[in-house]
Amino acid sequence: MKIAVPVKFVPDLVEELTIDPSGAALDTSWLRLIINEFDDHAVEQAILLKERGGGQVTVMMTESDGADDFLFTAAAKGADQLVKLTGDFSSINNHALAHVYADLLKELQPDLVLTGVQAHNDIDGAVGPLLAELLGLPYVGYVAGLTVQGDKAVVRKEYSGGLVAEIEVKLPAVLGIQAAEQPPRYVAYSKIRQVMGTAKIEERPVAGLDLSGGTAVSRLFQPEAAERATMLEGGADEVADRLVAIFKEIGTL
Amino acid sequence: MPIRETFWNIPHWAEITQYVLALLTAIVFLYGILRHVLRWRKGKPEKRFDRLGGRLWSFIVQVFGQRRTLDEAYPGIMHFTIFWGMLVLAIGTALATVDWDVTHLFFGFQFLTGWVYIIFELTLDILGLLVIVGLGMAIYRRYASRPARLQNFPAKALARDDAYVLIMLTLITISGYLTEGLRLAVTQPEWAVWSPIGNVIAAAFLSIGDPTNQALHLVIWAFHILTAFGVLAFLPFTKLFHIFSVPLNIFFRSMKPAGALPAANMEGGMGVKEWKQFTWKQLLDFDSCTRCGRCQDVCPAYASAQILSPRNMMIKLDAHLWDKNGHSLHGEVIAADELWACTTCRACVQVCPAFIDHISTFVDMRRHLVDQGRMDKMLQDALANVGRYGNSFGQSDRMRAKWTQGIQPPVPDARREPVEYLWFVGDYASYNATLTEITRMTAAVFQKAGLNFGILYDGERNSGNDVRRVGEEGLFEMLAEKNSQVLSKVQFQTIVTTDPHTYNTLKNEYKWDGNRPNILHYAELLDQLICAGRLKFSKKLGYKVTYHDPCYLGRYNDVYDAPRRVIEATGCQVIEMPRCRERAFCCGAGGGRIWMEEKDIKERPSESRIREAVNLEGVNTFVVACPKDATMYRDAVKTTGNESRLAVKDLIELVHAAL
Repeated sequence: MKIAVPVKFVPDLVEELTIDPSGAALDTSWLRLIINEFDDHAVEQAILLKERGGGQVTVMMTESDGADDFLFTAAAKGADQLVKLTGDFSSINNHALAHVYADLLKELQPDLVLTGVQAHNDIDGAVGPLLAELLGLPYVGYVAGLTVQGDKAVVRKEYSGGLVAEIEVKLPAVLGIQAAEQPPRYVAYSKIRQVMGTAKIEERPVAGLDLSGGTAVSRLFQPEAAERATMLEGGADEVADRLVAIFKEIGTL
Repeated sequence: MPIRETFWNIPHWAEITQYVLALLTAIVFLYGILRHVLRWRKGKPEKRFDRLGGRLWSFIVQVFGQRRTLDEAYPGIMHFTIFWGMLVLAIGTALATVDWDVTHLFFGFQFLTGWVYIIFELTLDILGLLVIVGLGMAIYRRYASRPARLQNFPAKALARDDAYVLIMLTLITISGYLTEGLRLAVTQPEWAVWSPIGNVIAAAFLSIGDPTNQALHLVIWAFHILTAFGVLAFLPFTKLFHIFSVPLNIFFRSMKPAGALPAANMEGGMGVKEWKQFTWKQLLDFDSCTRCGRCQDVCPAYASAQILSPRNMMIKLDAHLWDKNGHSLHGEVIAADELWACTTCRACVQVCPAFIDHISTFVDMRRHLVDQGRMDKMLQDALANVGRYGNSFGQSDRMRAKWTQGIQPPVPDARREPVEYLWFVGDYASYNATLTEITRMTAAVFQKAGLNFGILYDGERNSGNDVRRVGEEGLFEMLAEKNSQVLSKVQFQTIVTTDPHTYNTLKNEYKWDGNRPNILHYAELLDQLICAGRLKFSKKLGYKVTYHDPCYLGRYNDVYDAPRRVIEATGCQVIEMPRCRERAFCCGAGGGRIWMEEKDIKERPSESRIREAVNLEGVNTFVVACPKDATMYRDAVKTTGNESRLAVKDLIELVHAAL
């Protein structure tokens, strides 16, 4: 079975985020990138599937600081093929990213595409559904574990309120991973170093980006303090009386 | 002329039988020894032939002087008497054999005659008594006073071995005396008074008279010979084998600094997965354990939760070497929880009379767990943070020097200007919000002393001491490389740090390309500054304080006096806790424990330590010299409800207050 895992880096929230002078984007000079947590789970889930039933795992991402390290780490975990897309990605959005991945996936013909269900910088929607649309494949999101049986997969999807649904999907399919069946594993540095000597990262140049369908950000800003809340103190009756008075005052009663 | 007729009253056939038995004994004994030696040789190579002079000296002091064994009075004296008694009796027997079977047989003369013989008899007679006294103490201790550390766990079968050794040694000694007594009773030589104990026994037998005494003599002699040969032949198969393994283990002990951990095995994955990946010296360690349990008594992990007993670890590992059932080392023999429980405080290594290095074994096994990614979530996050941000707090490396904000004049950046003292601040002192006040105070003291110092700002990373002890060797190497790279571009003369963990790895484990700079703990630096008159105090604080020795400063690096001198210079009086200096009790944070989840803790080591301090008459201040200690003990003072009775203060707080 061929499993493809397209992933992306997102701004690391450990660093303070600043808005650039245009007022509509992050200042990239202080930005540090880190793997999208959900994508990390997607890689782990792919490795777990491989360990359980065999297969070939391809991890792909666009070039940026730390991309090589991440790909080698994935190889140390058990990924077989590492693809780094090269080009100018400074203006990229998820629509364009989905196009880039879709081109590659059409060529790769995987049985399963696992990707993080969301990322904290998904301004124009998550990558998974966009990818499924472009590839004409079924999509299930918020997946927390799956088993593959022949040409179909039984996936567990989490709903709020603690409900879990088991859904049968015909393969090939795109799955948005909420959580792998176990937390992403730790890889010893010695293993990563070893892999660096043996694993190859395939570089794939990308000519242009198709940004259509994306959103245009008009203003990006830090959360602003709203009007201050008023704390009501005293006994229950007293507070209730005050509440009624306030509701009347503002006309909701 | 005083002389003993060798083989008096022994028929010729018995004499011949004895020699045949001796030969058989030698064969079984040598086979037993060979079995052990071949087992050790299955281990990985390790060089232990450096500094032969030092090795020989420690061999003499520790084996013949029983130096470390004597650290504990009762078991020390008990073992000393048995050891020296048995050793002299064995030498005496050997001399008698040479006298009869070499010099007499081949050269026609005997040297055990006249006054030499008198001294020989007197010495053996008295030392035999010493053995009896020692054995009596041992029997009383094992079966009457029964200290907890001599329990039979983890293998009940070991109780048989313990009993066998005591019974057999007692039988040999008593039958030896009886043989002598009966011989003296029959022959009644005029020099019998020189065998005082044998003579007393002889007096008791006199009334029985010959030939009963002669017959009895033969029977008891035969019994004596059989038990003695039996014990000798099977010595390598019982715990008496330590007579052989422990002296070897002492001779081959590490002569490197205590703080330099051996590098990781990288063949077939990092660390030790199966026992043959241990070095021969580690296998010798396991084979040398006499189950005395001193390590268990001082182990903070054992005291707090009984998850880990270094003694039981050694027993299990030794049994595993001989196990034919194919149990796996990890999981079946040693549980991961046991390995993670170790704080690497080194208390066990410091007290072990057999000089076993428990920690290198534990770390080697942890390395395998790390290689497999098997660790708890907290530890995994801490390591990932150290790898990514250079600190275990998961904060931006750019925030490392945030604590310096507002300090005037600003703390110099050592990467930009040459400094005399490079202050390697360390993670806890830099990032822990409750410690930055102490860190700023340290800077203030340095400034008042007119020290030309600087820091590396965001160029500094976690030094890797505890990362290494967790078992993450690759990450340690990366940290060491990155720190070394930054340091190689900085002009400085001396490194100073407040963190004993950082101090240890910089001093003992960084490579420095053979050109190690002077490295000081701030206690040492303050001590130097006070001695040189550069730091003058205007106040005498007059507190009664106690001082906690950090493991990585004391046991690992032998710095005990400098911090005490500094405390006294501030006008405080140091009242020692019962467990002080080499015996200081670990706070529980070392070896990466501070990054791990706590499991089933009965009493935290830090809480035990605070209770120890609270019991000291008149002491109201608990002085620490390690940032981790400051956080650990501030917590422990709260959780034990001793906030009003004991204040935890960093050494620098005393210095600052006395300026």
